[in-house]
Amino acid sequence: MDYSRPHMAEKLAAEYALGTLRAGARRRFEQLLPAHPALAAAVARWQLRLQALASPVAAVQPPAHLWPAIQRRLFGAPAPAPRWWQRLSLWRGFSGAASAVALTALVLMNQPQPVQAPLVIVMNSTAEGAELVKAGFVASVSADGQALVLMPLGPLTLAQGRALELWAVPAQGAPRSLGLVAGNSATTVLRAKLLQNTAAFAVSLEPVGGSPTGVPTGPIVSAGQV
Amino acid sequence: MSTTTPIARSQELAALLARIALGDRAAFEALYRATSGPLFGVVLRVNSNRGQAEEVLQEVYVNIWRAAAGYQAQQSQPLTWLTSIARNRAIDSLRRRATEPATVSRYSSLDDGNDGEEQQDLLEKLPADQAGPLELLEQATRAHALERCMQGLSGEQRSSLALAYYQGLSHAEVAEHLAQPLGTVKSWVRRGLQSLKQCLDRAAGLLGTGTAGESA
Repeated sequence: MDYSRPHMAEKLAAEYALGTLRAGARRRFEQLLPAHPALAAAVARWQLRLQALASPVAAVQPPAHLWPAIQRRLFGAPAPAPRWWQRLSLWRGFSGAASAVALTALVLMNQPQPVQAPLVIVMNSTAEGAELVKAGFVASVSADGQALVLMPLGPLTLAQGRALELWAVPAQGAPRSLGLVAGNSATTVLRAKLLQNTAAFAVSLEPVGGSPTGVPTGPIVSAGQV
Repeated sequence: MSTTTPIARSQELAALLARIALGDRAAFEALYRATSGPLFGVVLRVNSNRGQAEEVLQEVYVNIWRAAAGYQAQQSQPLTWLTSIARNRAIDSLRRRATEPATVSRYSSLDDGNDGEEQQDLLEKLPADQAGPLELLEQATRAHALERCMQGLSGEQRSSLALAYYQGLSHAEVAEHLAQPLGTVKSWVRRGLQSLKQCLDRAAGLLGTGTAGESA
């Protein structure tokens, strides 16, 4: 099926948003979304149109045990009794950088599997971006491909109104955004399949808030092959 | 969340998502406190099995944590994005269940031995404490001044859309429950969506660009 045909894309987006696709068709359609921005935009427009229908659905308070269960699923076993890292006041006291480092440590400590060596990728600054910002990073990806910690090799100074965005670049096709990253501290990225179909990681210079289009719009300032 | 304006609430949720994208667990907890009630309602609406709905809600927040960095504020309102994740995971859970030899929906038990005439009344045969799909559709229509758009739809089109949206039924399941051929129901859904889109987009000037020329 040719999903790039606007009529077909529109029809499938509508049926996906409404929810009438069968299980197999839903799965195939969802897999297409990350690589087809036009399709994802059509879905977003349909979700917006149908959002009005959700308003009369009454809220139901979920049972109290769900929140700890969600935390366990994401972050491993909860820490012992006084979960100090959950206290808001403590977090407020930390600077963003300290939080990121602490979180990184927690993520690494909470890896449920036996510790396997992470994959370390050195990302050099590119010739293209060197005049704007000399940006070298070290990316370390957990062996299960679910966590990435990106550490700048030196402090970076960005021009006003600029941000750094990390991308997973496949051998073929469009890069996937992994979100904005900090230039002067470690950034932790949690994703299901960081390494699947990823040939390289790259950092691009983007407007504040990140690429408005879903693909890199500024120069690639740093890149490293997996 | 307190009684703030929709815009302030939306900005608050967007700010939380931005912090969650950077791995901020306190923001994640705040988002859970603010949205788990409405989202659990959405999930239960589609999958009324309590145990399964609780499981689905966990998946929803695991999804949100992992996908927050991919949330694009230019493309959707945070609540729309969150609701869509909740509906999608709930529908997935129904589709999974459909492959098991269990009943597909609460209507199935009424199927045995009855013919089409009985099934026409299915939408009315809901527990008194819970609004049926058509009733919800009417409430949404009134609340959002969608009367003009909904009037453009036939009764069959409205029923098909309501069953699909509020019950998470597939084309084939809607056809079964309305006792109509699959092809007929598919065309009701398709035409219903098409009219809804034209009317809504005209009324709201919704995303004015990019939708022109698709009215095939």
